[in-house]
Amino acid sequence: MSLDVREVLNIPDSGPRPAKKQKTAAPRTNLKGLAREVQSLGGDNPIAIVPEVSVFKKRRFGSRKPAAKWELRRFTNSARGDSGALVLQHWRRMHEDVSHSEDQMQDVLSQADQSAEGGQEKIEAPEDSTFAKFNVQVVVPQYSEDQYNSNLQNDDWTKDETDYLLEMVKELDLRWPVIWDRYEYLPKGPPAGDLDGADNTAVIPVPKSRTMEDLKARYYEVAAKMMAVQKPAQYMTKPEFDLYEMMANFDADEERKRKEFAINTMGRSKDEAREEESLLLEIKRILARTERFTEERRELYQRLDYPHTDQDISIYKSSQGLQTLLQTLMNVDKSKKRKSLAEGVAGPTPTSAGFAAGQAPHQSSDGPGNRRESIAASATGHLRRDSLVSATPATPADATPTSAADKKKKGNAAQFERRKLSEQEETIYGVSHHDRLTSGPTFRYEKINKLYSHKSGQQQLRITNLLTELDVPSRLIMPTAAVTSQFELLWAAVTTLVDLRKVSDKVDAEIKLEEALPGSSGAHKRSASVMSATSDKSSKRQKK
Amino acid sequence: MAQQQPLPSSAQPTDVYGGDEVSALVLDPGYFSTRAGFAGEDVPKQVIPSFYGHIDGRDIFGDEVILPRAGFEVRNYMNRDSVVEDWDVAAKAWEHLLVKRLQPERPTPPSKNGLNDGGDGDGDVVMDESLEETEKPLAENPVLVTEAPWNTPKAREKAVEIVMENWACPAFWLSRTPVLAAFAAGKATALVVDVGGANTSVTAVHDGMMLKRSVQKSPVGGLWLSGQIRSMFDASEPKVNVVPSFMVENKRPVEAGAPADYRPKKFGFDIAPSFRAFEEERVLTEFKESVVEVWRGQGKLAAPQNEDFARSQPGRVFEMPDGSNQMWREQRFKVSEGMWDETAAYPAPAGLDVPQISKGQTIPALIKACLDGVDVDLRPNLLANVVVTGSTSLLNGFNDRLNNELMMLYPGVRVKIHAAGLSTERRFGAWIGGSILASLGTFHQMWISRKEYEEHGPNIVEKRCK
Repeated sequence: MSLDVREVLNIPDSGPRPAKKQKTAAPRTNLKGLAREVQSLGGDNPIAIVPEVSVFKKRRFGSRKPAAKWELRRFTNSARGDSGALVLQHWRRMHEDVSHSEDQMQDVLSQADQSAEGGQEKIEAPEDSTFAKFNVQVVVPQYSEDQYNSNLQNDDWTKDETDYLLEMVKELDLRWPVIWDRYEYLPKGPPAGDLDGADNTAVIPVPKSRTMEDLKARYYEVAAKMMAVQKPAQYMTKPEFDLYEMMANFDADEERKRKEFAINTMGRSKDEAREEESLLLEIKRILARTERFTEERRELYQRLDYPHTDQDISIYKSSQGLQTLLQTLMNVDKSKKRKSLAEGVAGPTPTSAGFAAGQAPHQSSDGPGNRRESIAASATGHLRRDSLVSATPATPADATPTSAADKKKKGNAAQFERRKLSEQEETIYGVSHHDRLTSGPTFRYEKINKLYSHKSGQQQLRITNLLTELDVPSRLIMPTAAVTSQFELLWAAVTTLVDLRKVSDKVDAEIKLEEALPGSSGAHKRSASVMSATSDKSSKRQKK
Repeated sequence: MAQQQPLPSSAQPTDVYGGDEVSALVLDPGYFSTRAGFAGEDVPKQVIPSFYGHIDGRDIFGDEVILPRAGFEVRNYMNRDSVVEDWDVAAKAWEHLLVKRLQPERPTPPSKNGLNDGGDGDGDVVMDESLEETEKPLAENPVLVTEAPWNTPKAREKAVEIVMENWACPAFWLSRTPVLAAFAAGKATALVVDVGGANTSVTAVHDGMMLKRSVQKSPVGGLWLSGQIRSMFDASEPKVNVVPSFMVENKRPVEAGAPADYRPKKFGFDIAPSFRAFEEERVLTEFKESVVEVWRGQGKLAAPQNEDFARSQPGRVFEMPDGSNQMWREQRFKVSEGMWDETAAYPAPAGLDVPQISKGQTIPALIKACLDGVDVDLRPNLLANVVVTGSTSLLNGFNDRLNNELMMLYPGVRVKIHAAGLSTERRFGAWIGGSILASLGTFHQMWISRKEYEEHGPNIVEKRCK
């Protein structure tokens, strides 16, 4: 065809045609009818016809399976509780396993009739609806006559009305607004027979108007009591008990008040509503400002080095609090290597705590009425002292010397409960105790440097010389805690040595002066021995 | 291919499709029209006027049969309260709808109609099969019927009797229109404002249950609005005559406000006034649809600046079937203002059975009374779920005005109005809700079955359909 077109349009035959033809041959075979003709109009440069256009049709024919078979199937709903009296029909996919031949299919419609006539295989019971499982009913307390008489008597409610209420609750699934809406209890006429109701025969029964709170209160009362009857409170599981408590504590008056309030809120005029809204905004603003204000105030206090007591002292006001306070104070004192007061303080006298803390000894004479305040005072006083000593914004627990890692501020409660470490544990955890800590982190070698700085240049030189003599670098390479402490000892020995040398030099000079005059040499000897002893000691330490 | 594999459990939809269609029928009778169709569909298949023709002692149903004829009377089997008045006709009308219209008879297949037998020349047709079918036309279809919230127990029992006795349905259910309208809007809890043909009702629905104490109704509906329009026509200068289309033989175009120039059609018999009223109602309906609007600005229309503003708005021209036409400006707002403000209502037209409304019958008053009848805890929730339904609510600007009024009534509460956008959904809200309900799988446990009816008698409907 394309050849014809070329001829018509006087286009010469192009060279590379066969190759191209090869390429386009493949899709061309797929096309049929008019599509192929149109495609071949293009010749070498195929026309942009999207061959996928035919996919729709192709797929339909390609995946041609027999149409799904459906049947009008009968079913019941077991949630109805009428043992399958109502049989409805719905269309369902036919079961896969039943392979119907064509002629069977034609009979599908007539099958229903057959079954109605008492036909052959359709006799088996219709299936149950899949929706039956969604039928959920509320559980309503049950009670017998005796149980009612012994537990549930109420002046305001007759048994009849209680029964009616529970019936309503069950029927309306605890939807209180609806129950209240439909509640129309008519007291029965004069009770006949067993109860002697002769006195109120003349009274015409008038439906009592019950509020929703009345209904709820009565129902919860019955439900809670029956719950307790069936299972005493102490055997209930947690959720059961929660429910029991909630029902037992239902307060109808509270509810009534709340509803009144809600009505008033609904009845606000537009202006009132707007005013309330603006007031709420104002409150929000004020609250935000107070927060900022307190923040600033706290900062100010900190700056004034006022002890940082954002914790309240109320925790010290109970006897238990006192005990913990004592414990803390004891720990403080112990760690300070003061004499142990443990025996003395173990008694319950709180004033001794104040005394033990070295605070206000006169308080021991205070009357019992003042005790609480005095303890509080001593506590704060103690805080102040500690914070001054440690120079950090400290809590009592912080005052107990802690390692660098523990210096992070923690909740006070947690610090009071901190376990006391044994010595072994202290070494394991690297806990060390200090009399005084400067604020902020320090380097250990700085401490060494500080030692030097006290000495005069000549002495420094001498110490350095001596250290080089001992093959110890004047600047520690690895200043771990242990090394530094040992170095400090060594350094102390070295300084003593240097001092002694100085003294011995002086003495030597004096001796020489004496010898120049008439003299003896005993002093010299002694000082030398002292010197050797010290150097001995220091070298030993070094080796350790 | 991959699509046909079952989804992994993570990708499966968590909610279950709750539909289970049992070819139930839904019947929704109203004052103006009666709707019927199959449950599970989105629009009723058949809508006929509740007005029916009565001629020569026969009752005929459907819109297409209401034509000018000698001795033809138009009646309605419903009363102004949207409750069935004439049960005999109601049974006939419903059967006409459910049997004749929804399940038209199929022609007998040629193999069985006996015409091709040829063997015996009598031409007798074997009738037993077809007879059997016509005996129980609805034996396979459960029927759900709707009713007004204020329906009487007696009327409810009558409805179940008709369904069970006349048609041999396997199951039956009676449901209130507001509940169904709420379902159609996808809500179980809602404040349903139903502005229908003969009256307006406001009902609170909680968890799929109507709250009886909240039911409020007033005659402010389509019929009342027609009365307002008639009063307005009478009051306007020159007076506007409503001439229904069937009376016009021929008309010529005239200037706006000029008297009509038309040749009336001559009939050789008397036209019954009921027929004329029915046809006039058609004209008024068209007027409502194309001209009447609800004032939707701030405050009431009666406020002086509002009235001036309404006057300055572009008007709308309405041409009567007789060719007379007129521009309607502020009147088109004014005519519907009585729904909201009883002082702005026109006096009821003389000679027509349309009530004058009182203060408590305006829509805002109805809503307030309705909410006062429910528990205070429900009120905010109800106001956040106001469902508007009924065809008179399709008036232009109705929802805006309702929203304004509610905001004014309850300034501190969030008000949200749900009104279907499609006019069919608004008109047939209750039917659609019934269609949803009757096609739910979980609903099938609710049906009152034939067996239950036979055991307990018709008063079972009072016990079950709460």
